[in-house]
Amino acid sequence: MPSFFKRRQITKQKMKQKKEEQTKQKIGDYGTTPLPSSLKEKIDFIKSETGNSFDVIIRKADLDEKLGIETAVVYIDGISNTQIINDFLIHSIIKNRELHRKQPNKDIFEIVREEVVALGDVKVLPNWKEVFQMLMAGETVVLIDGETRALGASTRGGEQRSIEEPGSQVTVRGPRDGFTESIGTNIALIRRRIQNPNLWVEVMKVGRVTKTDVSIMYINGIAKEEIVAEVRERLNRIEIDSILESGYIEELIEDESYTTFPTLYYTERPDMVAGNLLEGRVAILVNGTPFVLIAPTVFIQFFQSVEDYYGRAFLATSLRFLRVLIFFISIIAPASYIAGTTFHQEMIPTQLLIAIAAQRETVPFPAFIEALIMEVSFEILREAGVRMPRAVGSAISIVGALVIGEAAVQAGIVSPAMVIIVAITAIANFATPSFAVAISARIIRFLFMIAAATFGFYGIILGLVVLAIHLTSLRSFGVPYVTPLAPMIPKDLGDTVFRLPLWSLKTRPALISSEQSQTRVGGDQHPKPDSSKKMVPNKQKGEQE
Amino acid sequence: MKRKSFILVLYFGCFLTLTGCWSQKELTDLAIISAMGIDLTENGEYASTLQIINPSNVAGGLQGGGAGQGPPVSIYTATGSSIIEMNQRASKKLPRRRYYAHTNLLVIGEELARKEGITGILDAIERHQEFRMTAVIIIAHGVKASDLLKVLTPVDKIPAKKIIKNLRFTEEQWGEVFTLNLQDVKKDMTAVGKSPVISGFSIEGDPVQGSKMENVQTSDPETTLSATGLAIFKEGKLVDWIDGKTARGTVLILDKIKNTGISFDWKDKKDVGTFQVIRMNSKNIATMKKGKPKITVEVKAEGYLSEIRTAVNLTDPKILIEMEDTIEKTIKEEILLAVEEGKKVKSDIFGFGQVFHQNHPKEWQKLKADWHDVHFPELTVDVNVEVYIRRTGLRNNPSVLKE
Repeated sequence: MPSFFKRRQITKQKMKQKKEEQTKQKIGDYGTTPLPSSLKEKIDFIKSETGNSFDVIIRKADLDEKLGIETAVVYIDGISNTQIINDFLIHSIIKNRELHRKQPNKDIFEIVREEVVALGDVKVLPNWKEVFQMLMAGETVVLIDGETRALGASTRGGEQRSIEEPGSQVTVRGPRDGFTESIGTNIALIRRRIQNPNLWVEVMKVGRVTKTDVSIMYINGIAKEEIVAEVRERLNRIEIDSILESGYIEELIEDESYTTFPTLYYTERPDMVAGNLLEGRVAILVNGTPFVLIAPTVFIQFFQSVEDYYGRAFLATSLRFLRVLIFFISIIAPASYIAGTTFHQEMIPTQLLIAIAAQRETVPFPAFIEALIMEVSFEILREAGVRMPRAVGSAISIVGALVIGEAAVQAGIVSPAMVIIVAITAIANFATPSFAVAISARIIRFLFMIAAATFGFYGIILGLVVLAIHLTSLRSFGVPYVTPLAPMIPKDLGDTVFRLPLWSLKTRPALISSEQSQTRVGGDQHPKPDSSKKMVPNKQKGEQE
Repeated sequence: MKRKSFILVLYFGCFLTLTGCWSQKELTDLAIISAMGIDLTENGEYASTLQIINPSNVAGGLQGGGAGQGPPVSIYTATGSSIIEMNQRASKKLPRRRYYAHTNLLVIGEELARKEGITGILDAIERHQEFRMTAVIIIAHGVKASDLLKVLTPVDKIPAKKIIKNLRFTEEQWGEVFTLNLQDVKKDMTAVGKSPVISGFSIEGDPVQGSKMENVQTSDPETTLSATGLAIFKEGKLVDWIDGKTARGTVLILDKIKNTGISFDWKDKKDVGTFQVIRMNSKNIATMKKGKPKITVEVKAEGYLSEIRTAVNLTDPKILIEMEDTIEKTIKEEILLAVEEGKKVKSDIFGFGQVFHQNHPKEWQKLKADWHDVHFPELTVDVNVEVYIRRTGLRNNPSVLKE
């Protein structure tokens, strides 16, 4: 009997291995299988592998009719630049027929590579793996009869979204360009801002099936080497079939999964990425999404906007304070209402208490249930508003306003004060500059409501303590999440909730940027133009002169 | 790591068990008591009157027009041999939990204040964790506290609120009464050289009529509540009422006058001028002369002439100086009137004893024992008043009258 089971186990294992091999073949992991020399075999293999997909274009062209040397130009329609292929590959091959007869010593492959293909980036592809990699990325592969290698020419192109203003982070003052879905464009947008050879880009392919281009960008010398190495290592560790958005990467490389707070910042704005690179951070770009990840991230970043650096320091500072306030409102406003009306009535001024009590007189639910109903129905409304087709959107808002704002109050199910609280919370939530933190606050709000319903303000304070402990326990690529507040780094405090004038922000963030390059502004940059006072002499002096 | 999380759990375990006073109470389950009145019944028991707010009748503007339909407050009464007992007994009649945190007014019936005093009552209130020590205390003048709390008032719908605001603005603008909260009373009662004076309120009109909604539905309410005089206490018991100028003189010595109009005579014509005080302060200075205590009350008053009904040349500085002297005399009279009254009932309501205690602690030890009964009535009181007429209002000379 035992032997029977053993055998079954073995067969199972074997089956598994077989299956794995099959899937490996299926998903296009060819290893280093070399190319056959016959052109027909090559073409047949490509055709069979791509399942005769109609967008795989194979154009045969004779190189020498007498000797019977044929070539084939293979590319995928739509993701490659057909114009370039026609002009510099197909046309060139036809024009340069029998060129090798003039140079009998030279290898045909070399002649094609050096003289026929009139493109900048030409690679020699020794095996099927690289052939398919090139082909699927939109490059063109030139196959030559009798050769076991292939040529790859850079012809990426096709239809793309043009550069538009980013939808998720709008500013009044500041550049208007935003990232697109193409990684090449995105890299270019950043490089245009930092024209320095030390802006380094590393590219890798992630995703067994999708083979998505992912690149790391950092400024060599400013970025901390340990952090760059850590980012590289974490990206290399990823083993997943697909990367469709930078969110996939984020989830696979973040330090702590069990938190509502994002430990990686994402942005659609090239100027924001450039600013962060200059602070020593590392950008992770993913092909196919306009959202670029920035690592390491600290909590205070979510209360900052690029515009803070473009406008005046005083305004930026007061806006940042407002945003912190907004964050707290969106977390504890409904909780405070619950705590105030069910536990600490003595804290509410008599007149206000009477007003609230009068409103609650007809409400059949306890304050907690009332708040929960309102918050949940608001979340439903918001979700509907986001997901609905645009044409139906206005209908949603009408129904929402009427049902929640008017009817619920008139029916005496909900008190008007609660509607006000929910409205303030919602607006505060929308006003949070970072969507990622706003979502986080949405979830935490409910936890705080539960805490308030069981322990009143005591519960809220306990919740805030837990929140503080949780935040301080987080890290992003080794950097504590709430720096420079905890651990306190006094010289970095100038750019936290405050935004001191640029001339006084002398150094880069200490824990993030490399120690060798901390200085950012030269000494004595405070503008004091004495000369401007002399330009208009005061009257007395003028008379004397 | 394990140890850390253990400590964390321990901490939060402590947090959750050491919560102190907390308990969930829904707003709709609370009977918000706006005022509490305590009386003495004929058979020597206490009777308490709880004025409870009907929120929906106070806050207007809601759908259904609840405001104005019913009375803004309801009265519940109970009797018992102790304060707490009778209040708890009141819950037999109440559909909700009694909630004292918003009780801002405590009314003591005159009979209770005279016969038993207020010392005993305040103990129960001080011990209560909901009752505020900042609640205002008044004495029902000539009526029962229960009657006083039943009267419905226009403008400010909650009677307790009306009484508190009434006191506050009378104090600010006239000065015969003043706001005194439980804490102040407690301080005065524990101090040796000072007796409390508490403002009184009385009913004008029929109390029964005042408790009906009709009372607030006319432009001229039949029954109204008004601040009337100050109750002088001695050893915790009410001994006398003072009113009018005597009362204002008392408030003046206590340095609680903010604004008031002082009428004065001018050249044999009675009360033809009014001096509007805009700044006034008084200071009591204690001196010992040959072992005899002496108090100097120093008053400084600044203000303007707000009314002159006689022909006088106000552009002449000499006349203004003369006028200042006249006003000084008037104020001095008022103060002396108050002092006489205090001496008569042998109760130092002005806190002169306290001044001695602070400035002459050694001598005070001898005076302390029978200050109110012996030394205070024999006390020499000097009054120095300085009056400055800063302006004459928007006019110079009175127009119609000629000399």
